[in-house]
Amino acid sequence: MSAPSPRTVAQAIEDAAASSSTGYRFLEESPDVAPYHSYADVERMSARYGGAMQAMGLRKGDRVALILPDNADFVFAFLGAVRAGIIPVPIYPPTGLGKLAGYLENTLHIVAKSGARVLLTSSDIKKILGTIQAQAPGLEKVVAVEGVRTSNDKLRPEKVDLDDVCFLQFTSGSTARPKGVTLTHRNLAANVHAIMPVGLSIQDGVDHGVSWLPLYHDMGLIGFVIAPVYHRNSITFLPPLLFLKRPARWLESISKYKGTISFGPNFAYALAVKRIKESEMEGLDLSSWRIAGCGAEPIRAENLRAFAEKFSRIGFDERAFVCCYGMAESTLAVSFSKIWTGVRTDVVDGETLWSKGRAEPVAEGAPRASGIVECGMPFEGHEIKVFASDDDTSARPLPEREVGELRILGPSVMQGYWNDPEVTKRSFAGSYLRTGDLGYIADGKVYICGRSKEVVIVNGRNYYPQDIEWEASQVEGVRKGNVIAFGTMKGPSDRERVVIAFETGEKDEAAKKRLEADVRKAVQQSVGLTVDDVVPLAPGVLPKTSSGKLQRAKTRELYESGELLGRTSAREVDKLDLVKEIAKSQIGYFRHRLFGKSDD
Amino acid sequence: MTWSRENVQKKLVEVFGQHKQTEVDVSAESEIVADLGIDSLGVMEVLADLEDTFKLTIPDEALREINTIGDVATAVLTRLENDGRLEG
Repeated sequence: MSAPSPRTVAQAIEDAAASSSTGYRFLEESPDVAPYHSYADVERMSARYGGAMQAMGLRKGDRVALILPDNADFVFAFLGAVRAGIIPVPIYPPTGLGKLAGYLENTLHIVAKSGARVLLTSSDIKKILGTIQAQAPGLEKVVAVEGVRTSNDKLRPEKVDLDDVCFLQFTSGSTARPKGVTLTHRNLAANVHAIMPVGLSIQDGVDHGVSWLPLYHDMGLIGFVIAPVYHRNSITFLPPLLFLKRPARWLESISKYKGTISFGPNFAYALAVKRIKESEMEGLDLSSWRIAGCGAEPIRAENLRAFAEKFSRIGFDERAFVCCYGMAESTLAVSFSKIWTGVRTDVVDGETLWSKGRAEPVAEGAPRASGIVECGMPFEGHEIKVFASDDDTSARPLPEREVGELRILGPSVMQGYWNDPEVTKRSFAGSYLRTGDLGYIADGKVYICGRSKEVVIVNGRNYYPQDIEWEASQVEGVRKGNVIAFGTMKGPSDRERVVIAFETGEKDEAAKKRLEADVRKAVQQSVGLTVDDVVPLAPGVLPKTSSGKLQRAKTRELYESGELLGRTSAREVDKLDLVKEIAKSQIGYFRHRLFGKSDD
Repeated sequence: MTWSRENVQKKLVEVFGQHKQTEVDVSAESEIVADLGIDSLGVMEVLADLEDTFKLTIPDEALREINTIGDVATAVLTRLENDGRLEG
């Protein structure tokens, strides 16, 4: 399909205003409240919010931070800013549950890094933010959105070009340093074209989306606010927390509004299977749902199959699944599996995959067979290639079925991170963007195996092991620098589980239990992550490379095979020095494994 | 149905006791996430349970004020009282 001439998001909003038959519907907790705004109305409302921001003194190119828990406020403020040429910086609202200190630190970092002059939020969150203004020198005011809703300031037209920055997407991630992905209108136009007509064969003005996704996240914001404006599709929004509380409301909304498109991370499908009761399924009809997208975190085919099995009796068709690969640095989407083909896996030998980095096809059910989910082909005008991670200039792409780092190129790829030239430089290898993901290509299709950056993704959010390790190290009794955090897909959970292994001199069992609880609490409060397993180990047990760098991958492997736990509980203290000595080298480490095992 | 303060407390201890992931005893001071090991998805599940039990709605805004079991009790008691369903 040939691309139409690209339009800015601002232009797309004005064009969509011709439509009074499609628009956004904002569902609320009470089922009786479901305000609907046609695109004609969205144009008027966004002009009001945009005008109010201009009246606050914001000019083209200025940044405005948005912490707006109400979906309607967020959408109008975001689109209003974009039309005024003001660059919105979405930030997630505080969720409570004792994570406030970490939240404030993160928010302050984003506000300072983006150089936002104004922060627009609700009056109750404004109170929570307290003294943030005093700590961010560039931040001139914190404004409560309630007054904006009824403001009468007119939007003064502003010329917006394709190469102007549209908005900054700060990646949820390292608590220390969220990075601002800088997206231009040209990036958005390119990715929206790839997603809507090319990837999903969207019918303009006809397909109806249903989304509970948070709007401060790329999948919710670009997929269900921006892309539909370009194609005038109606969208029904649910508050994200309502979905988490009552997952049945997601499917009820699809049924009620005859939704044809809805997306969610893997965990959302697993949550629906776990939480939706048979009685809640009565009277629902999912037969209109033709695209059930899954992305933003590792996809487990068995979770999606369980979803299809449970909900097929109310009309869900498993062919609706579209497996997606994407990231904020590529606007949103990198590749989609072909629509109406369902979940497809490439069955390969697991051992060869992990030890030799080669995806060798084997028969389903063969010993060590591992099914890798297919995520489709790169979009027209975009490239995905695989390189060895040390190929710093992307000189030699690896052949098909060789595992390496996935790298991408094309008009959806960001120019860089806002105000971060060093990090931007490191994120590119030659002209390709390093995704940090490990994968391979077979028959032109993309398969994701893992992440070279070792990010842990839980319920759609990224966490960096370094942050978790740092916080755990602060706990008294934990040996500093001898903590390893990693994610594992093994185990009873339907999502990635987070494990922290640490060394301690503590020998008393009750004291170790207390230490475990302290570590959990420290990580919870600072990083906001609930740890699934905490493993105290005797000193010297964690694997190290010859340089002394702790090895996460190795620890994960030991943990998954059960050897980490086995060794620790049984190991005798008087072997400590010996262990330390031989654990210094990789070979010595393996000798120790054998030695330790035979002696235990 | 009306509730006494005492029965609300009892019910909260019972419901959180079913969902907790740690060995800690549930008390008013227990922090839901940090002490009881219930993650944010788990908290939302508990809230749905509580809403069904007490026949009320705990809106998203109220969640921002919640950290301990005592905070949940306050949220529930306030709403029961507003509905005229709190005894004594």
